[in-house]
Amino acid sequence: MSAVVSPIREPLITGRKSYHDITEDICAPSERAPSLTWVFAFIVAVTLLGFGVFSILWTIWFGIGSWNLNRTIGWGWDITNFVWWVGIGHAGTLISAILLLFRQKWRTGVNRAAEAMTIFAVICAALFPGIHVGRMWVIFFFFPVPNTRGPLWVNFNSPLLWDLFAISTYFTVSLLFWYTGLVPDFATLRDRASGLRKKFYNFLSFGWTGSAKHWSRFESLSLILAGLATPLVLSVHTIVSFDFATSVIPGWHTTIFPPYFVAGAIFSGFAMVQTLMLITRKVLKLEDYITLQHIESMNKVILLTGTMVGVAYLTELFIAWYSGYVYEQFAFLNRAFGVYWWAYFAMMTCNVLSPQIFWFKKMRRSIFVTFVMSIFVNIGMWFERFVIIATTLARDYLPSSWSYYTPTWVEIGIYLGTFGIFFTFYLLFTRIAPVVAIAEVKSILKSSGDQYIEEHEKHYQKAIDNKVKQH
Amino acid sequence: MKQFEISSKQKSVLFGFMGVGLLCLIITFFIDDAYRPRFWSNFLINSVFFTGISFIALFILCAKFIAYSGWQTVFKRLWEAYTQFLIVGLILMAIIIVGLFGGFHHLYHWNDAASLASDTLLQGKSGFLNAGVYTVLTLGIVGVWYFFARKIRALSISEDGQTTFSRITHQKLKKWSAGFLPIGGFTSAALVWLWIMSVDAHWYSTLYAWYVTASWLVSMLALTVLLLHYFKTLGYFEYVTVDHFHDLGKYIFGFSIFWTYLWFSQFMLIWYGNVGEETIYFKTRQDLYPALFYGILIINFVLPFFILLRNDTKRKTGTMVAASVIVFIGHWLDFFLMIKPGVLHTYHEVAGGGHGHASMNADQSMTAKLISDAGAHGAEHASTFQMGFTIPGFLEFGTFLGFLGLFLYFVFIQLGKANLVPKGDPYLGESMNHHV
Amino acid sequence: METTNKSILFGLYNDEEIVLQALKEAKGQHLDVYDVVSPFPIHGLDPLLGIEESRLHIAGFCFGLVGTLTAFLGMSWIFTKDWPMIFGGKPYWSVPAFIPITFELTVLFASIGMVITYYAINGMGPGVTNPVLHDRLTDDKFAIAFDAGNASEDEINKFKAFLENTGADEIQMKTI
Repeated sequence: MSAVVSPIREPLITGRKSYHDITEDICAPSERAPSLTWVFAFIVAVTLLGFGVFSILWTIWFGIGSWNLNRTIGWGWDITNFVWWVGIGHAGTLISAILLLFRQKWRTGVNRAAEAMTIFAVICAALFPGIHVGRMWVIFFFFPVPNTRGPLWVNFNSPLLWDLFAISTYFTVSLLFWYTGLVPDFATLRDRASGLRKKFYNFLSFGWTGSAKHWSRFESLSLILAGLATPLVLSVHTIVSFDFATSVIPGWHTTIFPPYFVAGAIFSGFAMVQTLMLITRKVLKLEDYITLQHIESMNKVILLTGTMVGVAYLTELFIAWYSGYVYEQFAFLNRAFGVYWWAYFAMMTCNVLSPQIFWFKKMRRSIFVTFVMSIFVNIGMWFERFVIIATTLARDYLPSSWSYYTPTWVEIGIYLGTFGIFFTFYLLFTRIAPVVAIAEVKSILKSSGDQYIEEHEKHYQKAIDNKVKQH
Repeated sequence: MKQFEISSKQKSVLFGFMGVGLLCLIITFFIDDAYRPRFWSNFLINSVFFTGISFIALFILCAKFIAYSGWQTVFKRLWEAYTQFLIVGLILMAIIIVGLFGGFHHLYHWNDAASLASDTLLQGKSGFLNAGVYTVLTLGIVGVWYFFARKIRALSISEDGQTTFSRITHQKLKKWSAGFLPIGGFTSAALVWLWIMSVDAHWYSTLYAWYVTASWLVSMLALTVLLLHYFKTLGYFEYVTVDHFHDLGKYIFGFSIFWTYLWFSQFMLIWYGNVGEETIYFKTRQDLYPALFYGILIINFVLPFFILLRNDTKRKTGTMVAASVIVFIGHWLDFFLMIKPGVLHTYHEVAGGGHGHASMNADQSMTAKLISDAGAHGAEHASTFQMGFTIPGFLEFGTFLGFLGLFLYFVFIQLGKANLVPKGDPYLGESMNHHV
Repeated sequence: METTNKSILFGLYNDEEIVLQALKEAKGQHLDVYDVVSPFPIHGLDPLLGIEESRLHIAGFCFGLVGTLTAFLGMSWIFTKDWPMIFGGKPYWSVPAFIPITFELTVLFASIGMVITYYAINGMGPGVTNPVLHDRLTDDKFAIAFDAGNASEDEINKFKAFLENTGADEIQMKTI
């Protein structure tokens, strides 16, 4: 009983791999000594991380005055970076959860790394609400626990608190989902290891044996977690958008924010996955598992979500005019022609114009174009958040409150530090864990491996004829 | 692989529906007030509802094509048939347009010259909200949609003739589908704003177009489940199995939740900001149309959520049919509540001597004026339950039945014009052997 | 799971389709299969082994419900009874504002609850060591295993014959 696969589908695993090949290829990076590339990258990452830690300590010691936040620009690089990182984190869960529900087999090549990326991105994101409060030592005020200060409760009506719940839930569920999938792969590593390595992977693999009952429950759990994670992904960036949309500030208070932010998050998330995957597949020699088909599929998602973001921009512009509300109209004119016009221009070019290149198949399948685009998209999405936050706050209702904002070295340092955190974690991940989901890739080998294409073609017509005969 | 042919029994039933609809329309026309608000709003709601279902079928067909989705192949001819209704939709909206120019109706406040003269806000929007733009965009955009619908259908049918899977036709279909998606996405927003959002001419919401589209989508999916079940009892669509229904059930479940998410986003953000110009939309509906307002949430969220949550219910014919009927009517009621309050308000404004909304600037006393208007109207309405507006009456359901009959009749005819099974579609084998 | 001193007779296979065929054979011969071990989930395996659909989703639903009630009732009590305050002119019982947190906590409780349940019923956890039949079962080999502990000499031979006839590469006996 082979899978019935349309001959029009392209293979997702190339190189005529056997199950053992898959194990060998994907386990290899963590079983050999780190390459020079890895060591160099790690040193750079840890350096950035170090500088980030220094900047954060500086912030805590000297206070938020070491940043350039002012009246009325109370949110600057801190919240821009927060939203940017949360957005990037959305791709992982989307690939794991939503693509699982849509039965897209190509997700198996990239889901493990993308989920890992999600967790690290959320850590980077969560940093900012943590440190931007000023008095970090009373950050426990955020948590709704009974206390002796009244009892003083948190403001459940505030979207900032909804964020706390959303991000924590998102982090936890992503971690659980990611780890659940990792356990069988850790077991693979365990059974190939010896000595200390074996003890290490034994601990991590939780006693996985591969028994049929375990797999049955595993699939059940994966499906339900996917079903839970899907609305969760949508809700997290929706709640982040509520931070802005629940206000009454023109340019912020608009109902399209929730799905528009989610589309933007997926947009930037997939771009980051592309950036990471293009490098990873080359360095770790995993081109047979992260094929051009995977890259093209992700580029299609980038094109789709980029267009949705474009539709949202045009909608906002049109409705600003349509509303007849002078402040809303000014907010958008100001974005394009005001003091931060260059940020708006960068945003429009990177987010709306540049993804249009992906209408062309050749471009979708070009590694170079994909890599350049993935960087552009993330730059564009950074500017989008900056335009929404800083531009709007710089020119709100009262001209006497108009202000301007540029970041200090501390803020830039923290941002660079988050890259340090992200890449340090990612590089450690590539050493410790299999970057591609070993068991999942094996499960699609028969249906999507390139050596089975002819077989599929041969019995595809038979599969149709059999059904026709039955009726 | 049976070809479909509409039977005389089906014709009689559907003509019966249309007859009922026509009768209800005529009765409504004669018992209606001046300017016929009930008649025209019934006409508008149904035209928009069914044209939208036709549009979203085309959109989803294209989206699935681009996504390399194969499981819907065994019933995609049904969706193709939906898309052909766009030409009828064009004609229906053309009737509304004739009414615009002829002054037969006052569906749109912005079309009333007297109101326009004294209302700065409407004047500001008149560059977009005017009969000329309405005509050009309606006819132009629906025309373009229909063009794509015909082209894609023709390509799909041409695949039937191939002996082996034609990659050339497949590539062409991909290109046309890819082309339609952004066009459909952008243009549908414009039409939603013109047709539906401008009924409440002083209000706006950037999310509105997406919200309406989600409503169309769930309606289209629900109708598909009902029709496929019906056709299977007659022996058609024999390759559609319980696994296909399971997936359709998942779609209805998922998109009902998505619709609810959009509903909630729109509602909560407006509630939270508490800006009078925006909250008036929901306040009117909560205070004057409570049965519909809360009913719609229960029918379109609570019921499908709990009915379709479990795996086994999506595989049972009875439950799926019940859930589909519920959400189909539920989303029709959604369109009802989108349009009726605005039409009634406009009618009161215009018929009440055109005192309208006196000159207002957004930053002046509009809020106070609107609230006092609403207050005044509220006092009127509190004692005046308006049949056909506050809740749909028999005439509304009869009219709905008529339009449904029209839609189904057209779809049935279109179904007969092609093989039900797309023989040349490269995903056919996958779809026939679909297992969930 | 501690070692239970079970005696397991198993055969190693190279391909999951052979395993599925073999299991149909086993069903026909009324052989009581102890377990099937594989490096990835095999589709179509569960009905052949009589494995029923997992009831994890029920656990998930219950945990989720607890989350929903905790969040909604908690916030309602806190904001109406314990420490009511006026925020932005909103009513004390501001239901729309409660929805996001209610949703998040539902998902959180459901997920954590289900995952802990999953590991508990699987007998897994951090540092837990379960007996492994063969190192390559997480690589590219599949195993059909029989419980030879209480089996008679005859039955064991039947098992061995079955494993040989259905194409097992290796046959081993292991105590776990």
